[in-house]
Amino acid sequence: MEVLSTIFNVALIVATIRTTAPILLVALGGSFTTKAGIFNIGLEGQMLIAAFFAVLGSIWTGSSLGGMVIGVAAALVFALVFAVLVISFRANEVVVGLALNILAGGMTISLMKAIFGTRGSIVGRGIVGLPKVQIPGARDILGPYTQLISGYTPLIYVAFIAVPVLILIYGRTRLGLYIRVVGEKPEAAEALGISIAKVRYTAALLCGLLAGLAGAHMSLGYITMFTENMSSGRGFMAVAILIFSGGDPWRVLAGCLLFGFADALSLRLQTFGFPSYLVLAVPYTVALTALFALSWKARPKLIRETIETMQRALSVHPAKSETPDTSSNRS
Amino acid sequence: MKTALLPDGLIRTLAGQALAFVVALSLGAVIILMIDESPIAVFMTLMRGAFGDAEKIAGTLLQTTPILICGIAACIGLRGGMFNVGIEGQLFLGGFAAAWVGFAFALPPFVHIIVAVACAILAGAAWVAIPAYFRVRYGTNEVVSTILANYIAVLLTSYFTIFLFKRPGGWSETPPILPTAYLPELFSFSRLNIGLLIGLFLAIATAAFFRWASAGYAATMVGSAPKFAEYGGINVRKVGFSVLLASGAVGGLAGGIETLGVHHRFMEGFAPGFGFDGLIAALLANGSPIGTIFTALFFGALRAGSLLLEVDTTASREIITVIQALIILAVSADLMMRRRGDRTGERRWKF
Repeated sequence: MEVLSTIFNVALIVATIRTTAPILLVALGGSFTTKAGIFNIGLEGQMLIAAFFAVLGSIWTGSSLGGMVIGVAAALVFALVFAVLVISFRANEVVVGLALNILAGGMTISLMKAIFGTRGSIVGRGIVGLPKVQIPGARDILGPYTQLISGYTPLIYVAFIAVPVLILIYGRTRLGLYIRVVGEKPEAAEALGISIAKVRYTAALLCGLLAGLAGAHMSLGYITMFTENMSSGRGFMAVAILIFSGGDPWRVLAGCLLFGFADALSLRLQTFGFPSYLVLAVPYTVALTALFALSWKARPKLIRETIETMQRALSVHPAKSETPDTSSNRS
Repeated sequence: MKTALLPDGLIRTLAGQALAFVVALSLGAVIILMIDESPIAVFMTLMRGAFGDAEKIAGTLLQTTPILICGIAACIGLRGGMFNVGIEGQLFLGGFAAAWVGFAFALPPFVHIIVAVACAILAGAAWVAIPAYFRVRYGTNEVVSTILANYIAVLLTSYFTIFLFKRPGGWSETPPILPTAYLPELFSFSRLNIGLLIGLFLAIATAAFFRWASAGYAATMVGSAPKFAEYGGINVRKVGFSVLLASGAVGGLAGGIETLGVHHRFMEGFAPGFGFDGLIAALLANGSPIGTIFTALFFGALRAGSLLLEVDTTASREIITVIQALIILAVSADLMMRRRGDRTGERRWKF
């Protein structure tokens, strides 16, 4: 029992919140593209390039804010390339996404060698990390539990606040509605005169913005350094979450908390002398298991639609299918 | 007629690929300029490193072998409409399985190789079996599941190597395999082995299979027109599962050949990125096994040349990864192809 209480305590919750934030940010970014009907496997690369340029930017400008801005800009460039190729040139999204991931990996290493003359990682050299936000008065009210809500980097608050914000965007704004229509029924969007390309570009760039913040948090958050391929599959885990959540913000949050917890737990287990290689594999295994376990729900669209059509054909209500207005409003 | 030999579509495809190459190489040149190197010097160094003398050419072919075999694995998947991005993981497990048979058992010379290679193939197929099952049964996206499986495969083989089978005193590698399991070498001056010939044979066999065998035709149809295949009475799930399994098996074979032929042991990170290079080579060849021979040779030359690049210039060898990615991006844009009017049509893997 004593071992369990040393593993499961307030510090573990705090660690979970910390490890959840970057994957939550990138997954929420991907939620935009998922909802807009784009399968974005390039999240990993956007995060990685943002992490590198955030470090570079913080050295150049001497401030973490500058680093964040430059990191996000780099991610936006990648998102724009993805959007141009996939939306305008109609290239295969998996191929483009994978190629951009490979490009990000190669480019960060090449630039690191060219600028810093080293391989492996950049540490020190004037990198400015993100500040920690101390919420005033929190200590008086919560006492020993203060660290649960106070003392995180700003981006962690941004990540968690983004969840309800996204819900509002999808549920209450014109843009959110357009994104959903374009993703679910492109034909309906076209009939309504919505520019599919414009909406998808917006979604892809919003995705780049959040993925960039996630990358900046990775290299300027709790560890201020850049390492080769430091995103280590976080972007792919985010894609896994997006697949079984369908981009719904609450489900994304639930999935991200699960992976954040797996991550935090694996870090904790490492200190107990479990073989590090197996412990490091825990988050990936959790992601894979969750993907498989929840995939029965996400049956192919084809089958879902066939079932729907069958039901419509069987129930004798021919009048319904003749009113296109209601069908477009529904989505 | 001339058009029968070189159909219009092929000419346009080739012209498109050539244009894409030019675009990608000029973008690559810009990036090389960005890191303060001369693109021409980098290119010349790459060429010298790849084709400078007989030894260098053998080195290029040595790098080509795993890329080619991984490329064939990717081709099999692509033909059947499956994106096997997990070749990297299958390569690692296949490599470990072959090494394990190589050092743990004493068998007669020829038999030893066969058993080790068979174990590599089985390991690769087994590693893809679960993602493949969920793909065909529940439609679980195979891209993500195989990518995530890659990370687990690499960590798992590292764990085996370091915690279970570490060579005493050695640095994160297994004991060397017994000489009975060495693949025969082709030349005295290089570690180039019959793996290359196996790869070439496999490429031709795969091409022939898809061209002439009815099962190959069924797989192609499942990949390009699943509904048509289903109406034609083909069990789409079964074919899809077999396609991924075969792809994984070939991926495992690539790993086995790499450990048995080149390293003669399994070590951590023994074949970085070969799986991804193979996938890129297959995409560049548009899923044609014969075309993959040439694209794999191209990437093998880049890899071999990059070793000299790191010695002779200040550029990092990862610059070739950048060039590869740029080529794929340029090819995927399909600059020659005229856009069709529909904006909602389904996208296939084809560029």
